[in-house]
Amino acid sequence: MAEEKSEIKEIRVDEASPLFDKKGMFHKRFKSDFRQIRYFTLLIVQKAPPEIKEINLLEQQISEIIKNAVKHGNHNDPKKHVDVWYSFSETHARLIVQDEGEGFKRLEEWNEFNKKRNECFKNQNFEEMAKYVSFLTEDSDENDSGNALFAAVEYWNGGIVFNKKKNCVAVAKYFPVKRRGLKLE
Amino acid sequence: MEIKIRRYESIYIVDIYGDMDMYNANDVKNLINTMIKKDIRYYIINLDNVDYIDSSGIGALIYVHSELKKRNMALRIVNVKGSVKKVIELTKLIGFFQIAPTVKDGIAELSRMNRS
Repeated sequence: MAEEKSEIKEIRVDEASPLFDKKGMFHKRFKSDFRQIRYFTLLIVQKAPPEIKEINLLEQQISEIIKNAVKHGNHNDPKKHVDVWYSFSETHARLIVQDEGEGFKRLEEWNEFNKKRNECFKNQNFEEMAKYVSFLTEDSDENDSGNALFAAVEYWNGGIVFNKKKNCVAVAKYFPVKRRGLKLE
Repeated sequence: MEIKIRRYESIYIVDIYGDMDMYNANDVKNLINTMIKKDIRYYIINLDNVDYIDSSGIGALIYVHSELKKRNMALRIVNVKGSVKKVIELTKLIGFFQIAPTVKDGIAELSRMNRS
Protein backbone atom coordinates (compact mmCIF):
# COMPACT_ATOMS: atom_id res chain seq x y z
CA MET A 1 0.00 0.00 0.00
CA ALA A 2 1.48 3.32 -1.02
CA GLU A 3 1.69 6.10 1.50
CA GLU A 4 -0.99 8.67 0.86
CA LYS A 5 0.11 12.24 1.02
CA SER A 6 -2.05 15.30 1.02
CA GLU A 7 -1.48 18.92 1.96
CA ILE A 8 -4.51 19.27 4.20
CA LYS A 9 -4.90 16.31 6.46
CA GLU A 10 -8.51 15.28 6.71
CA ILE A 11 -10.60 12.46 8.04
CA ARG A 12 -12.30 10.87 5.05
CA VAL A 13 -15.32 8.69 4.43
CA ASP A 14 -14.48 5.99 1.93
CA GLU A 15 -15.87 2.54 2.41
CA ALA A 16 -13.88 1.27 -0.59
CA SER A 17 -10.54 2.33 0.92
CA PRO A 18 -7.91 -0.42 0.94
CA LEU A 19 -7.43 0.46 4.62
CA PHE A 20 -10.59 -1.60 5.28
CA ASP A 21 -8.99 -4.75 3.84
CA LYS A 22 -8.87 -7.11 6.84
CA LYS A 23 -6.85 -9.82 5.12
CA GLY A 24 -3.99 -11.05 7.30
CA MET A 25 -5.03 -8.91 10.27
CA PHE A 26 -5.51 -10.14 13.82
CA HIS A 27 -8.89 -9.63 15.43
CA LYS A 28 -10.07 -9.05 18.99
CA ARG A 29 -13.50 -8.23 20.38
CA PHE A 30 -14.00 -6.30 23.62
CA LYS A 31 -16.95 -5.29 25.77
CA SER A 32 -17.35 -1.54 26.13
CA ASP A 33 -15.68 -1.12 29.51
CA PHE A 34 -14.11 2.30 29.93
CA ARG A 35 -11.91 1.09 32.80
CA GLN A 36 -10.32 -1.52 30.54
CA ILE A 37 -9.37 0.67 27.57
CA ARG A 38 -5.66 0.82 28.36
CA TYR A 39 -5.60 -2.90 29.11
CA PHE A 40 -7.28 -3.71 25.77
CA THR A 41 -4.79 -1.44 24.07
CA LEU A 42 -1.85 -3.27 25.65
CA LEU A 43 -3.23 -6.62 24.43
CA ILE A 44 -3.15 -5.23 20.90
CA VAL A 45 0.09 -3.30 20.98
CA GLN A 46 2.05 -6.26 22.36
CA LYS A 47 2.00 -7.64 18.80
CA ALA A 48 3.94 -4.61 17.54
CA PRO A 49 7.71 -4.84 17.08
CA PRO A 50 9.65 -2.52 19.43
CA GLU A 51 11.02 -0.53 16.46
CA ILE A 52 7.65 1.14 15.85
CA LYS A 53 6.46 1.62 19.43
CA GLU A 54 8.35 4.92 19.87
CA ILE A 55 8.38 4.35 23.64
CA ASN A 56 4.60 4.40 23.98
CA LEU A 57 3.36 6.73 21.27
CA LEU A 58 1.82 3.87 19.25
CA GLU A 59 0.06 2.62 22.39
CA GLN A 60 -1.26 6.08 23.14
CA GLN A 61 -2.58 6.62 19.62
CA ILE A 62 -4.30 3.22 19.58
CA SER A 63 -5.88 3.85 22.99
CA GLU A 64 -7.46 7.07 21.68
CA ILE A 65 -9.20 5.23 18.84
CA ILE A 66 -10.44 2.49 21.15
CA LYS A 67 -11.58 5.09 23.67
CA ASN A 68 -13.59 6.90 21.00
CA ALA A 69 -15.30 3.61 20.07
CA VAL A 70 -16.05 2.63 23.69
CA LYS A 71 -17.12 6.06 24.89
CA HIS A 72 -18.49 8.05 21.97
CA GLY A 73 -19.55 5.10 19.82
CA ASN A 74 -20.99 2.68 22.36
CA HIS A 75 -21.56 5.16 25.22
CA ASN A 76 -19.84 2.72 27.62
CA ASP A 77 -22.75 0.27 27.18
CA PRO A 78 -21.33 -3.10 28.31
CA LYS A 79 -23.80 -4.90 26.03
CA LYS A 80 -22.11 -3.32 23.03
CA HIS A 81 -18.83 -4.53 21.62
CA VAL A 82 -15.81 -3.01 20.00
CA ASP A 83 -14.12 -5.04 17.27
CA VAL A 84 -10.48 -4.36 16.54
CA TRP A 85 -8.46 -5.69 13.60
CA TYR A 86 -4.74 -4.96 13.66
CA SER A 87 -1.51 -5.65 11.89
CA PHE A 88 2.03 -4.49 12.62
CA SER A 89 5.47 -4.80 11.10
CA GLU A 90 8.71 -2.83 11.38
CA THR A 91 7.42 -0.50 8.69
CA HIS A 92 3.68 -0.24 9.35
CA ALA A 93 0.87 -0.16 11.88
CA ARG A 94 -2.72 -0.70 10.74
CA LEU A 95 -5.88 -0.74 12.77
CA ILE A 96 -9.60 -1.08 12.08
CA VAL A 97 -11.95 -0.30 14.96
CA GLN A 98 -15.69 -0.84 14.74
CA ASP A 99 -18.30 0.01 17.36
CA GLU A 100 -22.07 -0.49 17.56
CA GLY A 101 -22.93 3.18 17.79
CA GLU A 102 -24.64 5.70 15.55
CA GLY A 103 -21.44 6.84 13.90
CA PHE A 104 -19.28 9.99 14.00
CA LYS A 105 -21.94 12.40 12.74
CA ARG A 106 -19.88 15.56 13.16
CA LEU A 107 -17.04 14.38 10.92
CA GLU A 108 -17.37 17.14 8.31
CA GLU A 109 -17.64 19.75 11.04
CA TRP A 110 -14.51 18.33 12.64
CA ASN A 111 -12.56 18.69 9.38
CA GLU A 112 -13.62 22.34 9.12
CA PHE A 113 -12.68 22.95 12.75
CA ASN A 114 -9.28 21.33 12.26
CA LYS A 115 -8.67 23.42 9.14
CA LYS A 116 -9.22 26.64 11.12
CA ARG A 117 -7.07 25.31 13.92
CA ASN A 118 -4.23 24.56 11.51
CA GLU A 119 -4.57 28.03 10.05
CA CYS A 120 -4.01 29.53 13.52
CA PHE A 121 -1.04 27.26 14.09
CA LYS A 122 0.49 28.15 10.73
CA ASN A 123 0.22 31.84 11.58
CA GLN A 124 1.37 31.14 15.15
CA ASN A 125 -1.76 32.96 16.28
CA PHE A 126 -2.15 31.36 19.69
CA GLU A 127 -4.74 33.86 20.91
CA GLU A 128 -7.08 32.82 18.11
CA MET A 129 -6.05 29.18 18.46
CA ALA A 130 -7.49 29.16 22.00
CA LYS A 131 -10.92 28.96 20.31
CA TYR A 132 -9.91 25.76 18.54
CA VAL A 133 -8.14 23.75 21.21
CA SER A 134 -11.06 21.41 21.90
CA PHE A 135 -13.70 20.03 19.56
CA LEU A 136 -16.68 19.51 21.84
CA THR A 137 -20.25 18.62 20.94
CA GLU A 138 -23.55 18.23 22.83
CA ASP A 139 -22.40 14.64 23.39
CA SER A 140 -19.25 15.72 25.25
CA ASP A 141 -18.96 15.63 29.03
CA GLU A 142 -16.58 17.35 31.42
CA ASN A 143 -14.07 14.54 31.02
CA ASP A 144 -13.82 14.99 27.27
CA SER A 145 -10.85 16.95 26.10
CA GLY A 146 -11.83 16.99 22.42
CA ASN A 147 -8.25 17.02 21.14
CA ALA A 148 -7.43 13.35 20.42
CA LEU A 149 -8.13 13.50 16.70
CA PHE A 150 -5.92 16.54 16.10
CA ALA A 151 -2.90 14.41 16.99
CA ALA A 152 -4.34 11.29 15.36
CA VAL A 153 -4.68 12.94 11.95
CA GLU A 154 -0.99 13.89 12.13
CA TYR A 155 0.20 10.58 13.55
CA TRP A 156 -1.65 8.21 11.16
CA ASN A 157 0.23 9.30 8.05
CA GLY A 158 -1.41 6.59 5.95
CA GLY A 159 -4.82 8.12 6.60
CA ILE A 160 -7.91 7.96 8.81
CA VAL A 161 -10.94 6.65 6.93
CA PHE A 162 -14.49 5.99 8.08
CA ASN A 163 -17.13 3.70 6.58
CA LYS A 164 -20.40 5.19 5.34
CA LYS A 165 -22.15 4.70 8.68
CA LYS A 166 -19.09 6.29 10.37
CA ASN A 167 -19.01 3.69 13.15
CA CYS A 168 -15.95 1.95 11.76
CA VAL A 169 -12.59 3.64 11.34
CA ALA A 170 -9.44 2.39 9.62
CA VAL A 171 -6.04 3.97 10.20
CA ALA A 172 -2.52 3.36 8.97
CA LYS A 173 0.92 4.62 9.81
CA TYR A 174 4.03 3.89 7.79
CA PHE A 175 7.49 4.05 9.33
CA PRO A 176 10.71 4.70 7.46
CA VAL A 177 12.89 1.63 7.02
CA LYS A 178 15.79 1.82 9.43
CA ARG A 179 19.20 0.57 8.35
CA ARG A 180 20.34 -2.21 10.59
CA GLY A 181 23.56 -3.92 11.49
CA LEU A 182 27.13 -2.85 11.66
CA LYS A 183 28.66 -0.63 9.09
CA LEU A 184 31.50 -2.40 7.28
CA GLU A 185 34.66 -0.43 6.88
CA MET B 1 -0.28 9.03 38.99
CA GLU B 2 1.01 10.88 42.01
CA ILE B 3 1.26 14.62 42.53
CA LYS B 4 3.60 16.43 44.88
CA ILE B 5 3.78 20.15 45.51
CA ARG B 6 6.86 22.18 46.35
CA ARG B 7 7.20 25.90 46.85
CA TYR B 8 9.93 28.33 45.91
CA GLU B 9 9.08 31.77 47.29
CA SER B 10 5.71 32.56 45.67
CA ILE B 11 6.10 29.92 42.94
CA TYR B 12 4.41 26.54 43.37
CA ILE B 13 5.98 23.57 41.63
CA VAL B 14 3.59 20.73 40.85
CA ASP B 15 5.59 17.54 40.28
CA ILE B 16 3.62 14.87 38.49
CA TYR B 17 4.71 11.24 38.69
CA GLY B 18 3.39 8.47 36.43
CA ASP B 19 0.88 8.41 33.59
CA MET B 20 -1.38 11.39 32.83
CA ASP B 21 -4.26 9.59 31.21
CA MET B 22 -8.05 9.31 30.92
CA TYR B 23 -8.25 7.80 34.40
CA ASN B 24 -6.54 10.53 36.37
CA ALA B 25 -6.17 13.71 34.30
CA ASN B 26 -9.02 15.24 36.32
CA ASP B 27 -6.93 15.07 39.49
CA VAL B 28 -4.62 17.68 37.98
CA LYS B 29 -7.56 19.96 37.09
CA ASN B 30 -9.05 19.61 40.58
CA LEU B 31 -5.76 20.32 42.30
CA ILE B 32 -5.13 23.47 40.29
CA ASN B 33 -8.69 24.65 40.95
CA THR B 34 -8.05 24.28 44.67
CA MET B 35 -4.79 26.19 44.37
CA ILE B 36 -6.46 28.96 42.35
CA LYS B 37 -8.96 29.41 45.18
CA LYS B 38 -6.02 29.92 47.54
CA ASP B 39 -4.93 32.73 45.24
CA ILE B 40 -1.67 31.12 44.24
CA ARG B 41 -0.45 33.04 41.20
CA TYR B 42 2.69 31.33 39.91
CA TYR B 43 2.75 27.71 38.79
CA ILE B 44 5.22 25.26 37.37
CA ILE B 45 3.97 21.89 36.15
CA ASN B 46 6.93 19.54 36.11
CA LEU B 47 6.55 16.60 33.71
CA ASP B 48 10.01 15.17 34.35
CA ASN B 49 8.53 11.95 35.71
CA VAL B 50 5.71 11.57 33.20
CA ASP B 51 6.39 9.06 30.42
CA TYR B 52 2.85 8.73 29.13
CA ILE B 53 0.25 11.34 28.31
CA ASP B 54 -2.95 10.92 26.34
CA SER B 55 -5.55 13.38 25.03
CA SER B 56 -7.12 13.64 28.49
CA GLY B 57 -3.76 14.60 29.96
CA ILE B 58 -3.32 17.15 27.18
CA GLY B 59 -6.86 18.33 27.92
CA ALA B 60 -5.95 18.85 31.58
CA LEU B 61 -2.93 20.95 30.57
CA ILE B 62 -5.11 23.02 28.21
CA TYR B 63 -7.64 23.50 31.00
CA VAL B 64 -5.00 24.62 33.50
CA HIS B 65 -3.38 26.92 30.93
CA SER B 66 -6.73 28.58 30.13
CA GLU B 67 -7.97 28.91 33.72
CA LEU B 68 -4.72 30.54 34.84
CA LYS B 69 -4.58 32.81 31.82
CA LYS B 70 -8.12 34.04 32.46
CA ARG B 71 -7.04 35.14 35.93
CA ASN B 72 -3.70 36.63 34.88
CA MET B 73 -1.91 33.91 36.77
CA ALA B 74 1.25 32.45 35.27
CA LEU B 75 2.22 28.91 34.30
CA ARG B 76 5.31 27.24 32.92
CA ILE B 77 5.27 23.61 31.85
CA VAL B 78 8.74 22.11 32.24
CA ASN B 79 10.74 18.99 31.37
CA VAL B 80 8.64 18.23 28.32
CA LYS B 81 10.41 15.31 26.69
CA GLY B 82 10.14 11.87 25.08
CA SER B 83 6.70 10.72 24.00
CA VAL B 84 5.04 13.49 26.06
CA LYS B 85 6.80 16.02 23.84
CA LYS B 86 5.77 14.07 20.75
CA VAL B 87 2.09 14.10 21.73
CA ILE B 88 2.21 17.86 22.42
CA GLU B 89 3.92 18.36 19.05
CA LEU B 90 1.38 16.20 17.20
CA THR B 91 -1.43 18.18 18.84
CA LYS B 92 0.38 21.34 17.68
CA LEU B 93 0.44 22.88 21.13
CA ILE B 94 4.12 23.73 21.27
CA GLY B 95 3.93 27.52 21.17
CA PHE B 96 0.43 27.53 22.62
CA PHE B 97 1.69 26.30 25.96
CA GLN B 98 4.38 28.25 27.76
CA ILE B 99 7.12 25.72 28.05
CA ALA B 100 10.47 26.16 29.80
CA PRO B 101 13.30 23.59 29.69
CA THR B 102 13.76 22.92 33.41
CA VAL B 103 12.28 23.77 36.81
CA LYS B 104 15.14 26.19 37.30
CA ASP B 105 14.37 27.97 34.01
CA GLY B 106 10.68 28.07 34.90
CA ILE B 107 11.48 29.65 38.27
CA ALA B 108 13.75 32.22 36.60
CA GLU B 109 11.05 33.23 34.09
CA LEU B 110 8.29 33.46 36.70
CA SER B 111 10.52 35.36 39.16
CA ARG B 112 11.19 37.99 36.50
CA MET B 113 7.43 38.40 36.00
CA ASN B 114 6.86 38.63 39.73
CA ARG B 115 9.38 41.47 40.07
CA SER B 116 8.23 43.51 37.10
